[in-house]
Amino acid sequence: MLLQIAEPGQSTVKEACKPRVIGIDLGTTNSLVAHVADASPAVISGEGGPLVPSVVHYQANGGVLVGRPAQARAIEAPHDTLASVKRLIGRGAKDLASLRSMLPYEIEGDDRVVKMRVAGNRTVTAVEVSAEVLRELKARAEASLGGPVEGAVITVPAYFDDAQRQATRDAGRLAGLEVMRLLAEPTAAALAYGLDRGSTGTYAVFDLGGGTFDISILKLVDGVFEVKATGGDSALGGDDLDRSVATAVLAEAGVALGAARSDDLTLAAAQRRLVASAVAEARRVKEALTDAPQATFSLAGALTGGTTIARVVTRADLTTFAQPLLDRTGKACRRVLKDAELTREALDGVILVGGSTRSPVVRDFVAELFGKTPLADLDPEQVVALGAAVQADVLAGGRQDVTLLDVVPLSLGIEMMGGVVEKLIHRNTTIPTGATQTFTTYADNQTGFDIHVLQGERETADTCRSLARFTLKGVPPMIAGMGRVEITFLIDADGLLKVMAKELTTGKEASIEVKPSYGLSDEEVEKMLIDSFEYAEEDLVTRNLVTERIEADRILAATRQAFATDTELLDPDVRVAGEEAIRTLDAAVAGGDYLAIRHAIEALDLATKPFAQRRMNRAIAAQFQGVALEDAARKVGA
Amino acid sequence: MPQGADAFALLGLTPAFDVDLAVLEKAFFERSKELHPDRFASAPAHERVVALSKSRALNDAYTILKKPVSRAEYLLGRAGVTIGDNERLDPASLMPILEDREQLQDAIHGKRLTEVAKLQTAMQATRARELELVREQFALVEEARRAGGPQASVDEPIAQIKKILILMRYVDRYLEACDAALDEE
Repeated sequence: MLLQIAEPGQSTVKEACKPRVIGIDLGTTNSLVAHVADASPAVISGEGGPLVPSVVHYQANGGVLVGRPAQARAIEAPHDTLASVKRLIGRGAKDLASLRSMLPYEIEGDDRVVKMRVAGNRTVTAVEVSAEVLRELKARAEASLGGPVEGAVITVPAYFDDAQRQATRDAGRLAGLEVMRLLAEPTAAALAYGLDRGSTGTYAVFDLGGGTFDISILKLVDGVFEVKATGGDSALGGDDLDRSVATAVLAEAGVALGAARSDDLTLAAAQRRLVASAVAEARRVKEALTDAPQATFSLAGALTGGTTIARVVTRADLTTFAQPLLDRTGKACRRVLKDAELTREALDGVILVGGSTRSPVVRDFVAELFGKTPLADLDPEQVVALGAAVQADVLAGGRQDVTLLDVVPLSLGIEMMGGVVEKLIHRNTTIPTGATQTFTTYADNQTGFDIHVLQGERETADTCRSLARFTLKGVPPMIAGMGRVEITFLIDADGLLKVMAKELTTGKEASIEVKPSYGLSDEEVEKMLIDSFEYAEEDLVTRNLVTERIEADRILAATRQAFATDTELLDPDVRVAGEEAIRTLDAAVAGGDYLAIRHAIEALDLATKPFAQRRMNRAIAAQFQGVALEDAARKVGA
Repeated sequence: MPQGADAFALLGLTPAFDVDLAVLEKAFFERSKELHPDRFASAPAHERVVALSKSRALNDAYTILKKPVSRAEYLLGRAGVTIGDNERLDPASLMPILEDREQLQDAIHGKRLTEVAKLQTAMQATRARELELVREQFALVEEARRAGGPQASVDEPIAQIKKILILMRYVDRYLEACDAALDEE
């Protein structure tokens, strides 16, 4: 027997042939890439340090600049220089109504997807812009690591919905990266912290980035990182603080900023320049206030149409400007503690993540909110990328002593008659997970089911996010309530959803698998449906087998239990038939044919029906004991 | 995987309403270390599919068992008693909760948030009391099973539990409404 001489978790001889993998923090304001070398993660620096501004500049000749060179063009060519596109990814125009007036570039598009018109009369989507940033990071990593990158873990805000996750994954693919995993940013941060300090306990991760806010509660035990609950706001960040500073200061000076109506897709060029300059100035002032007690916000009169602005901003002013935004984070924090069924006293610590938490205004707020001094000894701007690199290493077969248990951030369901949402999977359920529910037809001779997949916490479809719609056809005509369709939601370890619908009444199956779409046309969705049906068939057979075995085991256990406990309700011939059916089902479970299992389940169901009926009658009788007879009759009739 | 069916078995626990949450969590973490899809990231496709589904089953078992209401409902299911989506309480039990609900609606409508908070606290206490009753009834079930008494001695507490669990649905909706109202402030 060979002796294992390396420490668990340490790299062994495998190191030499280990694939080159990276972790990427794709941020609203800045992005960066990290890699695990010699068992500990490190960020990869390029020109100007490790941070690459998430800014892309499009030139008329078709050229593309990314990062600092692009940022340098932001004021002179605001409409060709795209920043903060993370706020647009996986979003439609309707989602962005309030943001539009504050963006220095133009956005157009419909409710499914937005596009930006840039130099050379090109239109680009947020996915394409993000892919440019990812390409830059990939190139950096390859230059530093001396060879092609084989896989990447990309982080996303924990509170990103399915459409935003899908879009991020697509951006990775477009950049030529094999996306091994999408990882929630606070989880990544906790991973980096936990490994750094060998921590055990329950921590809150307060992650305020440029454009997103996440709050997660994690439990760290022995290499397991379990997300207890997560929440946040995927449209709240340092950007908003910059905007509220800019808006407030300009309003004081009598200059209107972003007075555009929500249906106004374009802003005058001068207005765009004013927005870009004022927001940039506000950011500079905010950052200056991290070290200094006050700073001066100044704008030249040429920009504002005459009024030269020189306003001294103190930390107290910043707190005032920031208060509405901080209050929104506070509300999300309280909700998440409640979801985790914890009080703030039960927390062992609070971890700060994201560039915006550098601000003392934010730190003081967090300290007061949680009643403890937050931890920020790892660079809050690097910690997410470091964690992502660790996870990439885990997935590439590197360290094996780390297990991340993440959750789905938002509930998932389908629309019922009347526009009410029936939730199949609730928020904060550990992933991977799944749920199956059976629905019946609501109209006579209905031959199809319209399935509308939704994500969100609200009760009605129009207030939740629409992820996908598809129709299941071929339901045989019958009276209302008789047609049955079984809907299955499956969520994988990336938090991505697959939906399957199966028509149950005919015995003939019609299964389709759908990936939720964002910004795709009906034809594309249709094609996707056909493709997934064709290619996923093999996977489907395996999954069917697993599902049927689980179902069979459940039914076998329940039947045996019932046979043992309710003997007096069991006729001898029913017992003989039932036991025969149990034997058949046992044999089918041992075999590999899911259809055989399903038929055996149905046979067992049929064989034990008289028995089940008697048990049910007794249960009903027990329930109605002491209730007036007419009430009982009414209930049965209902 | 013959034991795959049962949530308790998946986590190596004896089926019972009383579950030591620390033990449950420890078992969940230990099994997750072995079953999580990350362990199979570079395994062949069919192994990944199986791992994914095992991991799902484990997570779902943990989700069911960690909350007392879903745990109780699951235990009833094991005993062959299911609670349908549209099961209603008998009128006598339903009346008080409907009246409570009306009172809450009034408070919410009148934006009397301190009153909403008070009603919430009261309902939380009710919930805790009802859960205590569930625990007692499960103890009766256990006792009856051990004693091998008549079937009715098992069925009766189970019927009681079912009734409380249906009531819980109303209670939880009530508490959600409180949360939503207090959240909007």
